Amino acid sequence: MTQLPTSTDKKLGLVIDLDTCVGCHACVISCKGWNTENYGAPLADVDAYGANPVGSFLNRVHSYEVQPESGPSQLVHFPKSCLHCEDAPCVPVCPTGASYKRSEDGIVLVNEDACIGCGLCAWACPYGAREMDPTAGVMKKCTLCVDRIYNENLPEEDRIPSCVRTCPSGARHFGDFADPNSNVSKLVAERGGMDLMPEMGTKPVNKYLPPRIKDTLNTAGTCGELETVSEDATGFLGWLDKALEKL
Amino acid sequence: MARTVYQEVTPTPAIWMIAILMGAFVAAAGVSVLYIEHNGHIVTGMNNQIVWGLPHVFAIFLIVAASGALNVASIASVFGKIENKPMARYSGLLSIALLLGGLAVLVLDLGRPDRLIIAMTQYNFKSIFAWNMLLYNGFFVIVGTYIYVQMARGMSEKVIKIVGTAAFVWRLALTTGTGSIFGWLVARSGYDAAIMAPMFIVMSFSFGLAFFILVLGSTFPLTGRFLGDNLIKRLGRLLGVFAAAVLYFTAIRHLSNLYATEHHDFERFILMGDTIFTPLFWIGQVLIGGLIPVAMLLRKAEKTTKMQVMIASILIVIGGFAQLYGIVIGGQAFPLEIFPGYDVTSAFYDGTINSYTPTIYELALGLGGVALAVLVAGVGVVALRILPMTLCDEEIDPTAPDF
Repeated sequence: MTQLPTSTDKKLGLVIDLDTCVGCHACVISCKGWNTENYGAPLADVDAYGANPVGSFLNRVHSYEVQPESGPSQLVHFPKSCLHCEDAPCVPVCPTGASYKRSEDGIVLVNEDACIGCGLCAWACPYGAREMDPTAGVMKKCTLCVDRIYNENLPEEDRIPSCVRTCPSGARHFGDFADPNSNVSKLVAERGGMDLMPEMGTKPVNKYLPPRIKDTLNTAGTCGELETVSEDATGFLGWLDKALEKL
Repeated sequence: MARTVYQEVTPTPAIWMIAILMGAFVAAAGVSVLYIEHNGHIVTGMNNQIVWGLPHVFAIFLIVAASGALNVASIASVFGKIENKPMARYSGLLSIALLLGGLAVLVLDLGRPDRLIIAMTQYNFKSIFAWNMLLYNGFFVIVGTYIYVQMARGMSEKVIKIVGTAAFVWRLALTTGTGSIFGWLVARSGYDAAIMAPMFIVMSFSFGLAFFILVLGSTFPLTGRFLGDNLIKRLGRLLGVFAAAVLYFTAIRHLSNLYATEHHDFERFILMGDTIFTPLFWIGQVLIGGLIPVAMLLRKAEKTTKMQVMIASILIVIGGFAQLYGIVIGGQAFPLEIFPGYDVTSAFYDGTINSYTPTIYELALGLGGVALAVLVAGVGVVALRILPMTLCDEEIDPTAPDF
């Protein structure tokens, strides 16, 4: 029986700063690249240069134009991948136990050799974070780059998820949420990190840092008219002004 | 009640023609499966948003109908209605055939059907899907045993009743399991309702009996056997009650959703939307599959004809497909609500109705499942003494009043 672990030694996950994410999609490309070249079957890419490109991505960036009730609208880029929930609903629904959560670090993974491609886990995930690979016929999801973070063949600075390593604006952070002194725990505490859809009770490990409040500009009509800073012209310029008006 | 004589069906040219036609549908389904497996599900209409498509609608319909087709036998063995007893063997055979057809479609539409052995050997008992696999396999064993004890010479009525009761309980569990696949999906607005399980049981009563009446009504004339008017009318009235019960459960499901604010958007999408699902619900499910057949079947019995019962059964089958299409596809087409309370749009399906257009391959696979069920039932009645020589009213129950 595939049980969710009651607790995990570590809670590895991501913090995504919605204030600094610029929506460049570098994390998407980096993720696709690493997971196509380095584990399992390549992520599907069908008709990549055609009219209807379709493929599997383990990380996608959604962009929203947020329109407050008053004030200017704001563009928010929202990267979304598996949130490695503590109470992951995708795990218990899997009929073969291919979907599981590791007790040592809390990463939710799919054993692709045991996945029959029934798709039920994709229904169970409230975040839509699982992708059925249309060519491999099995479920794919973010692995938190489990083949990088423990890989001693890589330089130490590369032993973080590919998306974190590549993010040019430093909007993605990786660490252990079980450690209150870790970089991610501190960030969440300082910036008010939030869960995605906490009402679902899935206790996602990944957190989002909300955008900071933007500077506000006075709108037209509240500034008043500009004060007069010069009097009527005198002397030669005065004579020229009057002469031109007569013309 | 006179002694019932069962005899194998001797294939006639008409039966051979039907067998060839069904074989052609099965072959077309086989070709579709090979094509889909070779190219991947990319050639189907299914995608990451609509993970289960038209084949699943067919598969679930057949599985639900399989459970319901056993009704006639259960009514005889469990509830002691002797007039149903001559049909009990056929009822059991048809239920096995329908389940086989449904499972064939379900399995062949998996992302990796070649890994079926994994699904049969590795069980995660926290998963309702895994439980369903046991329930499906157990259904074959129990109903197979049920048919055997009915056909075995000298078998006591007590044993038949015990096995029949076990089959009845098992079929209730099976349909509960099928409905719970949807009922336990808390992440989707369209599901997450405990009523799904009992609703699926009632749906199985209705769809299964409708399918049984259609097959019975076409098999008997085709094999030169007589089918009594009273019998088919009696089954028709029972079907009318079941179809009305489906309408009742449907109403309760939607009223419950309308009571909870969080489901209002989904209900607006199904009941008042501008997609295919709204006409499917009102016209397909409620009108064609519900109100019209209920009116046809539950009006004054003496005015009902055998043909009307058959037509009503066809309407209920059509309505059943419409209902399951709405449940399976409609529930997935409604977008996930990542930011509840906000109107959300993005380039990645947020806030938009997920589109799905089934392809010919999916339709061929689904129809192949139906054809396989008919073919298996046909082979069964040719090879085994399943069908009684007559089902005329006087033979079955001379004491029953005429309608």
